[in-house]
Amino acid sequence: MTRFFESYEADPSRFFDEVISKTGIPRQHYDKLLHRFGQFSLDDIKARRQIVNIFFRNQGITFTVYGVEEGIERIFPFDLIPRVVPANEWQTIEKGLIQRITALNAFLNDIYHGQKILKDKVIPAELVLGSKHFRREFVGVNPPLGIYIHVTGSDIIRDGEGNYMVLEDNLRTPSGVSYMLQNRQAMKRAFPVLFEKYKIRPIENYPQELLHTLQEISPVSKNAPNVVVLTPGIYNSAYFEHSFLARQMGVELTEGKDLVVNNNKVYTRTTRGLERVDVIYRRVDDDYLDPLVFRPDSKLGVAGLINAYRKGNVALANAIGAGVADDKVIYSFTPDIIKYYLGEDPILQIVPTWLPSKPAHLKYILENLATLVVKAANESGGYGMLIGPESTVAEQEKFAEMIVANPRNYIAQPTISLSRHPSFFNDSEIFGCHIDLRPYVLYGKTVTIVPGGLTRVALKRGSLVVNSSQGGGSKDTWVVDE
Amino acid sequence: MLSRVAESLFWMSRYFERAENTARFLDVNFNLLLDLNNITHTENPNYWIALILVTSDRERFNELYTEYNSHTVTDYLVFNKNNPNSITSCVSLARENARSIIESISSEMWEQVNNLYHYLQSVTPQLVHNDPYSFYKEIKSASHLFQGITDNTFSHNEGWDFIQIAKYLERTDNIARLIDVKYHMLLPELHSSLEESEDSTDIVAGSVDIIQWMAVLKSCSALEAFRKVYLSKIDPDNILRFLILDRSFPRSINFSVCAAEDALWRISGSSRHRYVNNADRLIGKMEAELSYTSIEDIYSKGLHLYLADLEQRLVKIGEQVHLTYFAYHTPEIEPQDADEALPFTGVAGGRANWSQAQQQQQQ
Repeated sequence: MTRFFESYEADPSRFFDEVISKTGIPRQHYDKLLHRFGQFSLDDIKARRQIVNIFFRNQGITFTVYGVEEGIERIFPFDLIPRVVPANEWQTIEKGLIQRITALNAFLNDIYHGQKILKDKVIPAELVLGSKHFRREFVGVNPPLGIYIHVTGSDIIRDGEGNYMVLEDNLRTPSGVSYMLQNRQAMKRAFPVLFEKYKIRPIENYPQELLHTLQEISPVSKNAPNVVVLTPGIYNSAYFEHSFLARQMGVELTEGKDLVVNNNKVYTRTTRGLERVDVIYRRVDDDYLDPLVFRPDSKLGVAGLINAYRKGNVALANAIGAGVADDKVIYSFTPDIIKYYLGEDPILQIVPTWLPSKPAHLKYILENLATLVVKAANESGGYGMLIGPESTVAEQEKFAEMIVANPRNYIAQPTISLSRHPSFFNDSEIFGCHIDLRPYVLYGKTVTIVPGGLTRVALKRGSLVVNSSQGGGSKDTWVVDE
Repeated sequence: MLSRVAESLFWMSRYFERAENTARFLDVNFNLLLDLNNITHTENPNYWIALILVTSDRERFNELYTEYNSHTVTDYLVFNKNNPNSITSCVSLARENARSIIESISSEMWEQVNNLYHYLQSVTPQLVHNDPYSFYKEIKSASHLFQGITDNTFSHNEGWDFIQIAKYLERTDNIARLIDVKYHMLLPELHSSLEESEDSTDIVAGSVDIIQWMAVLKSCSALEAFRKVYLSKIDPDNILRFLILDRSFPRSINFSVCAAEDALWRISGSSRHRYVNNADRLIGKMEAELSYTSIEDIYSKGLHLYLADLEQRLVKIGEQVHLTYFAYHTPEIEPQDADEALPFTGVAGGRANWSQAQQQQQQ
């Protein structure tokens, strides 16, 4: 153990620690990293922190915090110590995710066509058809190539034994991939020597892969289909990412007011008139896409867009209605979905999940609220959540009432102790923080995953919530070949 | 190019230029007061009133402050967030516009806008008061650096042309206002009060006058260039000839109008005698008139009236640029009459239901 890490307490008996094994010895794939960091004094690290901070500030890499008047833009907290994932572990994640996303796409295709899985009673029909994100209007619509979920980001955690498990799927508009790319740039600037010591798989091709995927779904076959990114606008918390991706792909970043539909075709308004659009990578939720079909008061969408989409004149990524498959209630059936469509056993396990809509489960949940995690079925960002062991009796009672009133809207899971990783945020000490991993999966003619993803870190000591809106940070993630 | 992107480029550039020019207004006033310190009564509030008059902001100023002095006027023109034309507001708006098209401009341009923004956040009134020269120089340099970066990192095509149009329209407007400061100082009501406590011999009045005119030249960084043309013959006729009609100096009205015209014509493909839209027609007309105007013509109309008319016509040109390129296919936001046009707004103005859209984005 070296001086920079001397103060680190892994506590491997209580948590799975990514760096220190149960026997107290560093894992082999961290050797070089520990050695290098061991050569640094605290001042060295602070100097590198400065490099990273300037990089993020100059790039305008900030996120927006809602409900705060002053300083609404903040730098996303960045942890200088990278996470190292050995190639063999990555292989499991990659295979598992490809299997999972393939099955979920087949599920969506089925739900919006024959609904065979419901007729075979693998999943109770009312759970699917009653889902908030099921779009009845799109039954029978054929998205290009039969693909619904072009860009996904499933959250992966490790349990106490270090097994990788899927915590949830994000099949609508997952964000964070720009942080994955920028974290890598920042690390390269601050720790160039470390990059020579490891064979780190590159992730820089993500924007090209994304563009390629988007071009593949163009309804019109031409050399360079006109792809645009659709953002809710500058005040959206992920605006930086939208503009970053548009710039990296070399395509236009558009807002709803830049687009106009004429004769069921979509155009951009330009200084030289109207220009036809073939593919829209939309980062606007279904509900706001088209005021004629969904929320009539939406100013973020484009009137007539859905009809153009139905006519097959424009492709949308992701497809409308994909959210039914990342509903947390449907999540509990994903092992059955994989089995049903692919005839395979899931490579990645899910967290055991109880559904209040089943009477036996409901009883168990209500009796064990103090130890369970309860989540709203359709919330994201760490909102609408009860973490049993950290909650008060009053909070538990409030949740019990809500669960009984609306059982379809909740799920319950055991409190999983996410794995921990040494983190260095406050520039004075290293301590263990809980982490997860969000790799980004692209689904075009083939399914591809750039090796790595966004490792999110729960900054507050002991906290299990890694979402940026709840005070989470992130770190660079290295998939390394031996 | 997306109309929205073109519009944001336009306003980014315009606000940046405006911030620079406001810095120049203030800088020149400080210089002027230093130069006049021994000759005249520099505590006189009229030197500061002129700065407010020239930005046509007297009412708003009077709502916020009770007297005109270096502190209140500096605060209003540098820091005040309620003044949309203060340096701080302009830089924030330039940055907001840049941020909304961050994928379209070069990263270097963004970094420069962002750096100036963060620098301004760290500046205190005390700092400006102690060393105004350094502060205004910092703002001017930042603007020059931005222009240089833009020229060297951003493709010289349509988007660049919108940046040039905005820059030169704004500059023309500001030079006109700057010359007008001098006019305001010479207004009978102010002039008499400026001189009442002085030995108003002709010699003193004459040197005050020359010093004021030199200050105007300095604020356009034009003193040296002027001397190269007119040697040391600093008289008002020559100065006005230089600032309004010179065709080679980049901070003269004629030069700026020609540059804006070039950029507009590059975008539309217009050429002499063959304009294709109203913006091109109006700028062409202005350019032609400037080319054949003499300083005597301007005097016969009256300097102040001439400048006021020029400013009005610049507003019209801005309006036509808006209608031709930015408001494409959105007839609902076309102004009913010229008074409702959007000459000094950009991101914050001209966008219907802005707050509702903002609300929805947060969901």
